[in-house]
Amino acid sequence: MKGNIFVVTSGKGGVGKTTTTANLGVALARLGKQVALVDADIGLRNLDLVLGLEKRIVYDVVDLAEGRCQPRQALIKDKRLPGLFLMPAAQTKDKESVSESQMARVVHTLGADFDAVLIDCPAGIEHGFRNAVAGADEAIVVTMPEVSAIRDADRVIGMLGTRRARLVVNRVRPDMVRTGDMLSVDDVAQILSREVLGVVPDDEEIIDTTNRGQPVSLDPSRRLSAIYFTMARRLLGENIPALELQDDGLWNRLRRIVVGQR
Amino acid sequence: MSTLRQAACGSLRLSYSCYSASCTVCPQSIRRRVHKGKRGGPQRRQQRRPVQIKGTKSGLLLHLHERPLTPIVSKLRERLATLPNFYRGGRAVLMLGDQALDAADLEGIIATLEEFGIGADGAVCDAEEVAVAARAAGLHIVAASVAAAPRVRDDRTEPAHVRRAAHEQGEAAAREAARSGNGSAVPRTASSSASAQHCYYKGNLRSGQSLSAFGSIVVMGDVNAGAELIATGDIVVWGTLRGVAHAGAEGDDRAAVYALRLEPTQLRISRSIASAPSEGNVARHPAVPEVARIVEGKITIAAAVPGRDKVRSR
Amino acid sequence: MSNDVHQPQEILALPAPVPPTTEEAQTVTEPAPRKRRRSAPASGTLGRAIVITSGKGGVGKTTVTANLGAALADSGKRVVVVDADVGLRNLDVVMGLENRVRLHSLDVIEERCELDEALVRDRVRRSLMLLPAAQNRDKDEIEPEDMIDLIDELRDTFDIVLIDCPAGIEQGFRNAVVGAQEAIVVTTPEVSAVRDADRVAGLLPNDMPARLIINRVRPQLVKKGTMMSVDDVLEILRLDLVGVIPDDKEVIVATNRGNPVIDMTGSPTGQALRRIASRLLGEDVPIPDLTERKDWFSGVLSKLNFSRSRAAKG
Repeated sequence: MKGNIFVVTSGKGGVGKTTTTANLGVALARLGKQVALVDADIGLRNLDLVLGLEKRIVYDVVDLAEGRCQPRQALIKDKRLPGLFLMPAAQTKDKESVSESQMARVVHTLGADFDAVLIDCPAGIEHGFRNAVAGADEAIVVTMPEVSAIRDADRVIGMLGTRRARLVVNRVRPDMVRTGDMLSVDDVAQILSREVLGVVPDDEEIIDTTNRGQPVSLDPSRRLSAIYFTMARRLLGENIPALELQDDGLWNRLRRIVVGQR
Repeated sequence: MSTLRQAACGSLRLSYSCYSASCTVCPQSIRRRVHKGKRGGPQRRQQRRPVQIKGTKSGLLLHLHERPLTPIVSKLRERLATLPNFYRGGRAVLMLGDQALDAADLEGIIATLEEFGIGADGAVCDAEEVAVAARAAGLHIVAASVAAAPRVRDDRTEPAHVRRAAHEQGEAAAREAARSGNGSAVPRTASSSASAQHCYYKGNLRSGQSLSAFGSIVVMGDVNAGAELIATGDIVVWGTLRGVAHAGAEGDDRAAVYALRLEPTQLRISRSIASAPSEGNVARHPAVPEVARIVEGKITIAAAVPGRDKVRSR
Repeated sequence: MSNDVHQPQEILALPAPVPPTTEEAQTVTEPAPRKRRRSAPASGTLGRAIVITSGKGGVGKTTVTANLGAALADSGKRVVVVDADVGLRNLDVVMGLENRVRLHSLDVIEERCELDEALVRDRVRRSLMLLPAAQNRDKDEIEPEDMIDLIDELRDTFDIVLIDCPAGIEQGFRNAVVGAQEAIVVTTPEVSAVRDADRVAGLLPNDMPARLIINRVRPQLVKKGTMMSVDDVLEILRLDLVGVIPDDKEVIVATNRGNPVIDMTGSPTGQALRRIASRLLGEDVPIPDLTERKDWFSGVLSKLNFSRSRAAKG
């Protein structure tokens, strides 16, 4: 399958890489795909927390890279969905514990067995970032309409080489965009000159679900689910036109469209 | 500056690591040089040195996955001969992988280690036939997680004064060794000894910190989520255990985990693993001190109050 | 658009080296030291160097650094804020000084300019300066000794040096910490952030006093039970609390415009930041319990503000 290894990166921390990785993974799995999520944030792992799989970690990506276990031992199967697997990072090590080539090898092995591999990249542009990007075919750059985030996303895009990079714009507040207190998604896309994979509005549901280890796209009745589904389908190659973020009426319509089609 | 000290190599050091680019004693700076690509990075290092020796808190780890093992025996001798007394007095665990090996080679490795004063303690085997060969050579089988104990560099889990003393001791010895060239240097793993090595730690363990021992562990403090304890014996936490605890790591089914508040992310005893029953990330909050043991093949938690016999099974 | 837009450009071109004549080639000269050497220390007490760190990105380190700097400057102190996020600099943007940045810390370290040439004065507060980071360089181009020298030199001139640490626990983090004597760990009341803060707290030198700021607290959510309380966070982190900052959606408007939050009238976030500054200077300012605020009142107030601003914009 062509290019199925995606790195989810941002440069700036805290814009929602891990949340995006988790929710996109869940959405892809719900669409019937076999998905492997890889946490590349060694020493500061969070993907397991966001997925609620922390308690089941036995082996991690460092164990695999150092040959202490087999790939299937390091993969945790999510019991809620048939196709979703997590390869956790190590917590008691640091990012220098694996090399770029080790990570690339791990990720390519997964790429051969899964429909999609999503790599959760750590913040920054240091060794951890380079490790995460090493094996990836494409990038998903997560950002928000905020100067620092955009600037860092810009830097990161410049370090992705020839890989295709698409944007996920998080924490958008349509009311603030309207009053001119916040950049619009179009502004962001123009500054970074990349196409947009998805737009996620600011919503306190995200914090709640993150804390509880239940990614929001597990629940199709939540309005944010629909957004991640659209993103997942775009990732799989479908051409879904972007919609303006407006008021709740449109959300209900969108949800009905997506849910109805499944 | 009060926070900086002079190291053996003359560089200024913080209390927990050396930042001099040229220091040859400190593993931290050596690793930095390697990873900066000046020596070709970890990939090339692996090619130059097919025998990987890693120092851990409780001993040395030898990665011996390559086959055939015969040429490795001489490569090992070459490697150890460059610093003949560096590892003397240490204990080693052999990571043997899952491919069949020649018993004679294994004995050769053990004998070579003996020559340089290193005792081969145990082996980590990923296949039964390898384990058979290891046992025949007199090694006992060690669980992977004990072998994967943190590296020497990860010694921040020791109380500061203990750590500094060990550092100073190590530095003094290194200086000694450098000067005399042939003296009996105390290796980095100075704290290891032939018999069990219990660990008594006063303080809290934070996320990412790790404590392991060939023996039992007592922590007078909390163990936060993301921290881990690995012991061949028992584990006692006089505080809240939120992290991962692995007791009986070498296969002792009778080992136990005690805590004033047992709220672990995961419990492992010998080869059994159990996670606390919960939804997502919501934790349990027990009211009394508890102990976890293997009862009838399963990890079971009971109140650790003498006289009360409440057993909750997994 | 092609990727060329993102290629870094050298702002300052170094002069080409002049080849030595045969006579000059005879004498072997010591290469000029790359690192800056401090001149004799000025008389008087050295300033305090405080690193502001978190582990997790996006919890508000840079905003806190900029605003604490401003608040401390308002108290009459000479303050410098140092951006240690080489390659991803943001402190200049948050302070609205991005158009005034000409030179940066690597220019100083590599001796292309003097320290005071690289400092940028704040637009409003005369006693507040910024030392920007390079945008087109990497964090491992700075060695820890460089940072120590740099921060020491700043401490000679300034009362307080605030170091804005990058996210993570890699070389950038280590460089930021190495020059400081005190640390402030910033976290939000979420499991991931607290976990990362715990990790970072464990990596700080044992003898460095570390205090905690809990940022983005939403009292309504704490009451609902969907957000950790201050006590929940303290139970895990066990650090001295130096402040609790409530969440405010208006903050992003201020930072987008490069305006200090503490200048926003009536902002509880700004007030909390000012209180933290006072505490840092040793004043005993009690930490208010945010959950006691009357929700209906603040709800009404925010609706009033909203309708007022809408009316203003017509």
